Amino acid sequence: MQMVTNRTNGVLVLLLLLAGFPLLSALPNQLAAVRVAGLSLLWWYGGVAAPVAAWLTAVIWVPGPGSGPGRQ
Amino acid sequence: MTSAVGLLGVWLTPAVWLGMSALILDGGPDGLWVGLALVCAPLVALGMGSRPPAPLAEPARPDREPLFNVVILLVTVGVLLWANIILAGDVAAWLGAPRWQGIALTAAAGWLLTAWRGCRRILTPLLLLALIGVSVPLVQAARAVGAGPLGAWERVASEPAFRFPAASRWVTAGRDLRMARGRTPITFDEEHRITAPKGGTLRARTVDGNRIADIEWALTPGQSVTLRPGDQVERTSVLRIRFEAGKRVPGAPQTGIAWAAGRAGDWARRAALLFTILAGALALLRSGMAGPISRGVAAAVGGGLVVGFLLAQAWAVYSVLGAPDLFLGGVTPERLVELPGLAFAGSPWRRPLQAALLGAGLAGYLASSVALRERLGALDRTGGGEIGYDLGLWAGVFGVVAAASLWPVDPWRLTVLALGGAAAALSPAVLWPPPSERPAAGTVAGLVGLAVFAALAVAAGLRAGSGEILLAYPAAVAVPAGAAVLWVARRGARRAKAVE
Repeated sequence: MQMVTNRTNGVLVLLLLLAGFPLLSALPNQLAAVRVAGLSLLWWYGGVAAPVAAWLTAVIWVPGPGSGPGRQ
Repeated sequence: MTSAVGLLGVWLTPAVWLGMSALILDGGPDGLWVGLALVCAPLVALGMGSRPPAPLAEPARPDREPLFNVVILLVTVGVLLWANIILAGDVAAWLGAPRWQGIALTAAAGWLLTAWRGCRRILTPLLLLALIGVSVPLVQAARAVGAGPLGAWERVASEPAFRFPAASRWVTAGRDLRMARGRTPITFDEEHRITAPKGGTLRARTVDGNRIADIEWALTPGQSVTLRPGDQVERTSVLRIRFEAGKRVPGAPQTGIAWAAGRAGDWARRAALLFTILAGALALLRSGMAGPISRGVAAAVGGGLVVGFLLAQAWAVYSVLGAPDLFLGGVTPERLVELPGLAFAGSPWRRPLQAALLGAGLAGYLASSVALRERLGALDRTGGGEIGYDLGLWAGVFGVVAAASLWPVDPWRLTVLALGGAAAALSPAVLWPPPSERPAAGTVAGLVGLAVFAALAVAAGLRAGSGEILLAYPAAVAVPAGAAVLWVARRGARRAKAVE
């Protein structure tokens, strides 16, 4: 089971990041439209936070050169 | 073909990048969602595709890729090139040149590069050139309007209405109505007098109470027609028209707040599009590719995607800040190649920056054409990627694609079609490799997926405008159909093993 843990987790995090967008936009009272530093929460999430988090996730889940097959 | 620039070149073609920008402008959060999907999908694909195979189903890893996979990827690459060459034709037409010139230039340049076997070496410089060519006008636009990206977004999102600026070409000289090729009908929100400077025939659907009438006016040069709220102009009208300055742009969101909030959610449709993009990324980026990617490649691909997405957002915002008339009848990508009017009105930098921007588009296209051919060549493991440099083959591909590009088609739709077709035919076998005892199962699954995809795509064509999700995104049905075939094959192989 350890064989796929890191990669599977990485893919799951990416899918969760995607799922966060509709969830945020579905919040009641148009919470996603609340502006923080000029940008609405939905645009902060979809345009900045989620893409950067996706990038970091992709970097973290890929094993480094010294990782054995167990960390794949 | 697991270099980061190669993967970025395959995925972020100019049609995708500009399409992303146009979608953000057109749909607000809808487009933002598509952009986020375009960033995450390759990362998911690179992660999922490099997963070790299940122990029970040893995958067949032949030296030669099945012919089926090669043909499907060749067609996919052809359609992606088609989308980009169409965009080049659209850009040429929008900037006032004959459409065929943009098509001929890009098709010839793409084909000529196939003769140079060392062209993969210029992938990185080409992508850097594209990056610089887009970034410099953006910085200049930010300086000219005196607002950073956040400030520019806030200004767009606070607009009380999107109105024709006095300097708009739709107001000064007028444009051919057929140039407004967006997806939104040109419906007027307020009384608006439109003028035909050179005359022509204007077709419109007018609303008078409950009565709807289709009217055709034969206008003499300089003659005007007044349209009322609810009236709709037909795009088939062959004439140049001028709009009034200060009037609302037909097809634009009511206000900036409405644009930033987006339309009511049709999440089933958005999920189907996400599925198509995800499965398409798997097929395009991982099919036939052996071995996992390195951390450096993942970091570079992810970084490139995020930078591309941020630039696409900034480009969309600065463009509309300078030219709200971009919204006329729905935003199309070629309109975004014109420098933001407000930021560059009267600027001596306008021409050089416009040239730099067009150069960036060409560089991006050439990088993508090289990367796409290299991607196909990666399937040709025994031939050393020869297929990517076959002059005769690519002369045929570029020739057919250039001829087909003479008819305007939405480049984004073509891109989604290419991703969907590749997804239907290739992604099931990428996710669940066929067992070594039944290597043909991958091809059978691909054929089944492709047949379902083709049937639904044809049905969508016959029932144009029906708006059904599964017809709009047939990969959502075709991929599970192909996967079911593989599941049966793997189950059969497992049973046969158990019996032995």
